[in-house]
Amino acid sequence: MNLRTHNSNLILVLALLAGAAVAQSGKSPSVSFAPVALVTAPRAAQTMVNLNFRVASGFHINSNLPKSEFLIPTSLKMDLPTDIILGKIEYPAGKDLTFPFSPDEQLSVYSGDFTVAVAVHPLHAVEPGKYVMHGVLRYQACDNAQCFPPKALPVSFDVKVVKEPPTHRANPAQSPHVHN
Amino acid sequence: MPPPSRGGSRNPLALVVVALIAAAMLYFGFHAARRSGPTPLVTKASAAPDFTLESLDGKSVRLSDLRGKAVLLNFWATWCGPCKIETPWLVELQNQYGSQGLQVIGVAMDDSGKEDIAKFAKDMGVNYPVLLGKEAVGDAYGGVPALPESFFIGRDGKIVDKIIGLKGKAEIEDSIKKALDTQLARNEAPGQTVRENGPDQK
Repeated sequence: MNLRTHNSNLILVLALLAGAAVAQSGKSPSVSFAPVALVTAPRAAQTMVNLNFRVASGFHINSNLPKSEFLIPTSLKMDLPTDIILGKIEYPAGKDLTFPFSPDEQLSVYSGDFTVAVAVHPLHAVEPGKYVMHGVLRYQACDNAQCFPPKALPVSFDVKVVKEPPTHRANPAQSPHVHN
Repeated sequence: MPPPSRGGSRNPLALVVVALIAAAMLYFGFHAARRSGPTPLVTKASAAPDFTLESLDGKSVRLSDLRGKAVLLNFWATWCGPCKIETPWLVELQNQYGSQGLQVIGVAMDDSGKEDIAKFAKDMGVNYPVLLGKEAVGDAYGGVPALPESFFIGRDGKIVDKIIGLKGKAEIEDSIKKALDTQLARNEAPGQTVRENGPDQK
């Protein structure tokens, strides 16, 4: 094994160890946000961006449509940049599950991985270039016996605004070919 | 391609490793400092930190005024599912042991408004005072990082037991009995009785 391979393996092991340590530290629930690859969004068009989240093992958070008025829904709030419209936000349906603390009542929750999609719509006047979108995912987590105060997870992704694709022009009228 | 650097300290991968370790140390150091900051040690047999909080019906309730009673101090919130399961048990236990000197006190750690808390309490048939919690009170009781969390305070004002998270009703009842079994210190007079908040009181 050469030195470079050895170092790469060492980094991988350390990263895994650090991740495991973070996951095990205390009983604090965590929702993590996976980095989003640069999104290319043509002007004057709508581009859907998938934001991927992960709820730590053993925890759950309410879906965007919890079944009780007292439960706090998971919601994404994006800052509103000028000239780039962040349109509708699409949430996944929650899983209807029962828990030991609520055996007779199903709760609508997210656990494990889930994706929230947000529509990005740069207006025609936006200068082509790279823009950073910021927002916050608000959620409230529980495990099987206790609940944790609501939290806000910062979310951001880069959008590369490009000129709208050239409009397709119809070919000028040509003399019809007549096939006999 | 240039030859790889022979000096270990010049190897960029080694620098990344060092940076990772440093980042991990910073992370854990930060969290340890944050945890140990405002959170005092609240243990069994230590005096329950005193506080004054407003109840749902607008009265000021001071914990030390309850000296002489066994107090079940229950931190909860409307968004807490396990609290919803536990609350009817607390109502039953207040009925069962109230005459022996038990006083259940609910401390709502909600950010939502008083009206939501009152509606929840009414829906659950809460028969004991519900106070509007403040972060400083939570900090005094160890930060209350998760709900429900209950402290069982003896007649002498000392914490005799603590339950974090949802446990069985029998376990709560055992801790109530421990609190009821305590004696008021000889030089102290029994405290006043706190009027219970019925569901229709606001």
